[in-house]
Amino acid sequence: MNILVTGATGFIGRQLCLVLAQKGYQVKAFCRNVNHPYLADHPNIEPVKGDILDPYSLLKAMQGCQQVYHTAAMAKMWCRNPNEFTETNVTGTRNVLETAKQAGVKRIVYTSTCGVWGPTLKHPMTEDDPRVVGFQIAYERTKYFAELEVNKFVQQGMDVVTVNPSRVFGEGPITDSNTVSKMISGYLKGKWRIIPGDGGQISNYAYLNDVVNGHIAAMEKGITGNRYILGGEDKSFNEFFETLEGLSGVHHKMVRLPQKVIKFYSRFEALKTKLTGLAPVFLPEFADRLLLNQKYSSQKATKQLDYKITPFADAMRKTIAYLKAH
Amino acid sequence: MPQLTAIITGASEGLGKAFAIELAKRGHNLVLLSLPNTGLGNLAAYLQKTFDVKADILELDLTAAGSAEQIFTYLSKQKLTAHILINNAGIGNWDWFTDNSIAFYKKQIDLNITTPVLLTRLFLGQADTAVTSYILNVGSLGGLFVVPKKQVYGASKSFMRYFTRCMQLELTGTNVKMSLLSPGGINTRPEIILMNQKLKGIAKATIFEADEVARIAIDGMFKGKKEIIPGAANKLLVFLNSFLPGFVKDAIIKGKLKDHA
Repeated sequence: MNILVTGATGFIGRQLCLVLAQKGYQVKAFCRNVNHPYLADHPNIEPVKGDILDPYSLLKAMQGCQQVYHTAAMAKMWCRNPNEFTETNVTGTRNVLETAKQAGVKRIVYTSTCGVWGPTLKHPMTEDDPRVVGFQIAYERTKYFAELEVNKFVQQGMDVVTVNPSRVFGEGPITDSNTVSKMISGYLKGKWRIIPGDGGQISNYAYLNDVVNGHIAAMEKGITGNRYILGGEDKSFNEFFETLEGLSGVHHKMVRLPQKVIKFYSRFEALKTKLTGLAPVFLPEFADRLLLNQKYSSQKATKQLDYKITPFADAMRKTIAYLKAH
Repeated sequence: MPQLTAIITGASEGLGKAFAIELAKRGHNLVLLSLPNTGLGNLAAYLQKTFDVKADILELDLTAAGSAEQIFTYLSKQKLTAHILINNAGIGNWDWFTDNSIAFYKKQIDLNITTPVLLTRLFLGQADTAVTSYILNVGSLGGLFVVPKKQVYGASKSFMRYFTRCMQLELTGTNVKMSLLSPGGINTRPEIILMNQKLKGIAKATIFEADEVARIAIDGMFKGKKEIIPGAANKLLVFLNSFLPGFVKDAIIKGKLKDHA
C-alpha cells in the first residue's frame, strides 16, 4: 500500500515515515527539499519534492496513495511574515484535503495539537472540553482554524481522523519547533540554566514513539471526524528537571526566573523584533502562558486506539542517551 | 458574596462562553442558553466538573415565539430564582442595507432588541428583592458611532443604550443594578478573528480577547457601573466622541469606508 506523509522532515513526520516503512508500506515522503538532512533513509521511503502550498505538486504525489498523514505545519513560535502561519497551517491543510478528495485517497490522519485547547484551569483537558482563553498564540489560532477546515471536509463525506499531540520529545533531530528537546539538550550542554516561574507549572510531555504509534492506530481504528489527544504524563518544570538531572547525572544549579521578569523581558524582545525584524527569544503571549498549566488526558485514545504511554522516566532516559550520542 | 444564579444568552461561544467561564470561576450557578447543537452540553459539563457549580442548559431559538416565557417557566419548575441576567446573544452584520433579506433583519431585531426586553421584563418579575440582582446588557461602541454597513446592528445597540439608561433611572432605589457593556472589537468567531488580525495601530488596540472583556465586564457589573468600556483605547474613543464635531467624525468614517469598498 502507498502512503503519503507531509512534513516528512519534521520531528513527528520523519519518525512516522520510518516506522511505516519498517512495517512494509511504500512511503512517499513529501517535502520541499529532498536533500534535507532530516529525511529518513529506508528502501521503502521515496522522497517526493513538493509544497503543500502548491496543489499540483500534492496531486502528483498523491497518485496511487490510499492513505495520507498530514503532519506538515508551521509550528514555530514566531515567523517574520505572520501570514505564514495562516498560509501553511490553514491553506496548506485545505490544499491537502481538497487534493486527497480529487486523488481518491481513502483515509487521512491530520496532525493537530493540544494547543487548540491551550491552558487548563483544573482537571486535565479532554477532547470534549472547551477552550477557555483567547487565541493570542498564532500557532494555536491557525491550528484551530485548520481543524474547522477539517470539519468541513468531514461534513462533505471525507474520512479524516484528527490526532492532537501534546509537547512531544524523544529520539530525533532538534528541530526549530521542538522546544522540549532544545531544553534537554541545552541542559546537558550546560547552556540551559533556567526554570520558569517557581517551577510549579505543569505541562504534558508525550514520547515521540508513542505519538507515532498513535498516528498509525488512528489510521487503523480512529472514528471518522473524531479527535484523539496523544499525550504523556503531566509534569511540572521542577519534576522535569529533577528527572533530567537524576537520569543524566549532569548537575547544574538552576535559576528560577519569576514569571514577571520573563514577561518584562518578553516585552523588550517583542519591541526588538518589531523594530529590527530579528527573531525574538520569547514573546509576551508565551510569558502569559507560564501562569497556567497545560494538562491533557489521553484516556480516549487509550480506550479507542489502544494508545500506550511510555513512562516519563523511560522516555527521558532514551532521549538523553540519544542526545548524548548525537 | 452569596452564590448567585446567572442566565446567559448566546452562551455556547465567543463572549457568552467567556461570561459563563468567568462566573463559574467565581462560584456562581448558571443557566446557559443557545441554539441546539452548539456544544452547550459539553461546556456545561466542563464548568460543573471544574468549578463545582450547577450549570443548567436550555437549547432553544430565542427568536421563536414564546421562548422567553419558556425559560422562566423552566426556572420556576426547577424552583430556581435568577439573580443575574446577561443579555448577550445578538446577530451582527457588515453589509450594505439592500444586500440582506427582510427575514435576516426580522431575526436580527428579534434577537438584538425584542429578546433582551422580554427577558428583562420576566427577570424583574421573578427577582428576589432581598438580594441584589444584576442585569448586564451587551451593547457596542457601535451604538455610539454611526457606521455604514452596520445600520440595523448599530441601531439595535443604540436601542440597548437608551433602554439601559432609562431603566437605570427607573431602577434607582431598588435592589437591581443594570449595566451596559460597550466593547470595541472582540476576538470571538473565526471570521472575526481573521478580520481583527489585519488591523494596525489604534484600531488594533481596540481589540480584546473575550476572556479579558468578560472579566472586566463582570467586575463592572458587580460594582454596579452604569457603563463598562474595556480598554484605554476604547475609552479614548468615547472621550473624543464627546467633543469632536459631527463633520469630523463623518469624514473619518467615510475615509475608513473607502478601505473596505
